[in-house]
Amino acid sequence: MSKRDELLAKLFSLEGKPSVLEGIKVVEISKSNLSGSMVGALLKELGAEVLKIEPPNGDPAKNISPYGVNIGGIGIPYFIENIGKKIIYLDLELEEEREKLKKLLLSCDVVVDAVKPGYLDSIKLGYQYISNENPRIIYVAISPYGHFTRKAEEFFNVPDSDLTAQAYNGYPSIIGDPRIKPIPLRAGIWAAWMMAAINAVIGVLLALYERLRSGKGQFIDVATHDALAITHKFPVLVGFLFGKSRPAYGFLDYIVYPFSIFKAKNGYVSIATPFDTDFRGLLKIIKRWDLEPDWKYGIDRLSDDIDRLAELHKEICKEIAKYSIEELTRRSESLRKGPARLRRLIGGPIIVKAYTLKEVINEKHWYIRNSLLKTSIDNKDIIIPNSPFKMSETPGRITIQKNNQRFYS
Amino acid sequence: MSNYFEYVEKLFKSGEKRSLPLKGIKVIEITHYIYGPCVGMVLAQFGAEVIKIEPPGEGDRRRYRAIWMRMFKKAEPNFLTLNSNKYFITLDTRNIKAREILFKLVEKADVFIENLRAGLTDQMGIGYLHISKVNPRIIYVSCSGYGQYGPLSRAPSFDVSAQGIIGLTMKNGWPDVDEFYKLPDYFGDYFPAMIAVAAILAALYYREKTGKGQYIDISQAESLLRFFYDITYLSITGEEIGKTGNIDPTAIASGIFNTSDGRFVAIAIMDEEQLSAISKAMNTELTNLYKGKLRSKECINELNDLIFQWVSSKTLDEILNYAKTYGFPASPVLTDVEIYKDPWRWERGSILEFNDRIYGKIHIPGSAVHLSATPAKIKWLARPVGYHNRLILKKWLGYTDEEIRILEKEGVIGYWDQVPGPCPPATWNPEDDSVFKGEEDEQER
Repeated sequence: MSKRDELLAKLFSLEGKPSVLEGIKVVEISKSNLSGSMVGALLKELGAEVLKIEPPNGDPAKNISPYGVNIGGIGIPYFIENIGKKIIYLDLELEEEREKLKKLLLSCDVVVDAVKPGYLDSIKLGYQYISNENPRIIYVAISPYGHFTRKAEEFFNVPDSDLTAQAYNGYPSIIGDPRIKPIPLRAGIWAAWMMAAINAVIGVLLALYERLRSGKGQFIDVATHDALAITHKFPVLVGFLFGKSRPAYGFLDYIVYPFSIFKAKNGYVSIATPFDTDFRGLLKIIKRWDLEPDWKYGIDRLSDDIDRLAELHKEICKEIAKYSIEELTRRSESLRKGPARLRRLIGGPIIVKAYTLKEVINEKHWYIRNSLLKTSIDNKDIIIPNSPFKMSETPGRITIQKNNQRFYS
Repeated sequence: MSNYFEYVEKLFKSGEKRSLPLKGIKVIEITHYIYGPCVGMVLAQFGAEVIKIEPPGEGDRRRYRAIWMRMFKKAEPNFLTLNSNKYFITLDTRNIKAREILFKLVEKADVFIENLRAGLTDQMGIGYLHISKVNPRIIYVSCSGYGQYGPLSRAPSFDVSAQGIIGLTMKNGWPDVDEFYKLPDYFGDYFPAMIAVAAILAALYYREKTGKGQYIDISQAESLLRFFYDITYLSITGEEIGKTGNIDPTAIASGIFNTSDGRFVAIAIMDEEQLSAISKAMNTELTNLYKGKLRSKECINELNDLIFQWVSSKTLDEILNYAKTYGFPASPVLTDVEIYKDPWRWERGSILEFNDRIYGKIHIPGSAVHLSATPAKIKWLARPVGYHNRLILKKWLGYTDEEIRILEKEGVIGYWDQVPGPCPPATWNPEDDSVFKGEEDEQER
């Protein structure tokens, strides 16, 4: 460990530090909607107290898990996104239970509404009712099409899923290789729900900060069918500039080539050559200087003519496969550290090993940084990801009570 | 019911508006490409005053990398929006006088953002320890691939490298095809950037209460890892889920299906209530048939086959009508142009027509998060390299025209290279531009 590493590890230690949102009370109302639970979870990591309201027989989200695999009867996503929350079971069809919820809403700081748009309003617990009596309330709604516009009203009865949200964000249209299978392809993680949830969390934090000044809360609206495409911006700009949609592009990229994963002799590497000099560096590493004249400029390597680019890609793949991961990363590293004069002509492409999942969970880096946590539940060892909020004064964190089989009271 | 949606619409369109949450917050960023700039963009759209420092001449290298190399009035269109509302100054941080200016700016700043390779700002003498010495209240944010310390921290990183190093790319693909794909459109930049924004807002809140600044270490890989449930699955079962094509293995049934009118529709049945909803639409009894077997691989495949056959005899509109009537998740797979032309997004304010003082009319994405009392504002698009040098030196630091002239002459500050990307549009005339001359601030549009 270098001196700098030691210093930083100490600076970012977790012991004895406060959390930002201590004393902030969040009420999350969600059903079969993990995007809402992600919002509550991230606020929980920052120190908020989170109460989750569930129907008497529990949230069906408990069963949403890869092939039904569970931890003591609880699915993996639900387990991770509800750690440390207090669960309260209420039958909102009953008047007296509604009253209980109303009491909670009037005394809390943040409401996460992740049920059907308009449902809470229909039982007189929507924003207009709560903010009337509790003007400091920050009310965040997360739903497929939001809580306003004609479309939101038309589709209010359609529940959410990450896959359908990905679809409406246009994501599957640009994943995969249509020459192999001419079908849109989904992202293998909950990309749409993640992006919607973090947008909602940003909204809540903005509103909390603003409330320090104004003393007032507000309504925050996030649509899972919108957040991903709008955050990364490309569909709108492509529509405006080209009037033509991008096809799925497989191994290619729209603004840099190469910018993808390649098969090396003993595994996979990611390669990025953001600049022409980096591409030349790659040619030097794979000893294919003959490709340079035809492909040296970015404009040579970026085109919607996929067949032409496939020629170059075939050559690059062929060469990369001859080298080991270590040879490739070492050579790119030495080019990056070369003399500045040389780097103006030949840069260092970004070549990094692509890990298999089994390698990931054995990589000590993530444990040194407390990013993966090993813990034991029902005498079984499991690994769960920790908070990404690495902050020196107020670190984000998840707290699992060891030897406690009941996580949810 | 309709009253509710109208009520919310009114709240957003004409309810009480207050000044933006980050009004008065000053941010300095030394950022490039997408990851760092996106952080400053969100802060700027919610009212912060953000100064982006670039090297003179070429500027942020993202300026050159347009989609299929198509520029918009000599600028990179994504760069224009990704750096909206910012002030653009140049400083060559190796120059002693330029560093003096940098430290004077930092003294007045609340937040400092950088996304250079981990450890580089320390080597440059502008790391957290250097900056917090002159400004202990600073919130200093380092955005890197794998974090600031630990054995992997010094490896270089781009979006695709961060996706690769946590095994995420290997998830995207067909189980029967020996290929896999990265997540497109720089998810490994945008998502961690949003995590960084949340951390900054939390730190600002804490500082407001305690007066304390802090150091924030955001990693692309760790941000993605946080929601990568396959890790936990592997630790429980000893098996990797791997590529599952369009099947979301957490669902009872799921996929992207072909409709009879040649469209693609995504359907995901997440719980039993939704299963009985689609059963009714399909007019078959699925709930009892598969009781106790739900989410087994065989059951997922059988249900998907049934849905596949059912969808192939229906039009997209028919499927969506069933989804509305019975209540199960179904959405069309949109393309870029369909998203761009979607009336819902325009109505919602997620896409805007914007008229910029320099770049004219352009259609751009707004904010994905809508706040009723303090909505995000886009005030101006990105500017050429060094465009606000004079304005910022005068407004923030009180330099005179003469002092600025000397700094220009000595090459301490500089302007754009005359190439597409860093340079202004061909029609732009410096003589007519009082903002460029530092006589007047940017105006909200």
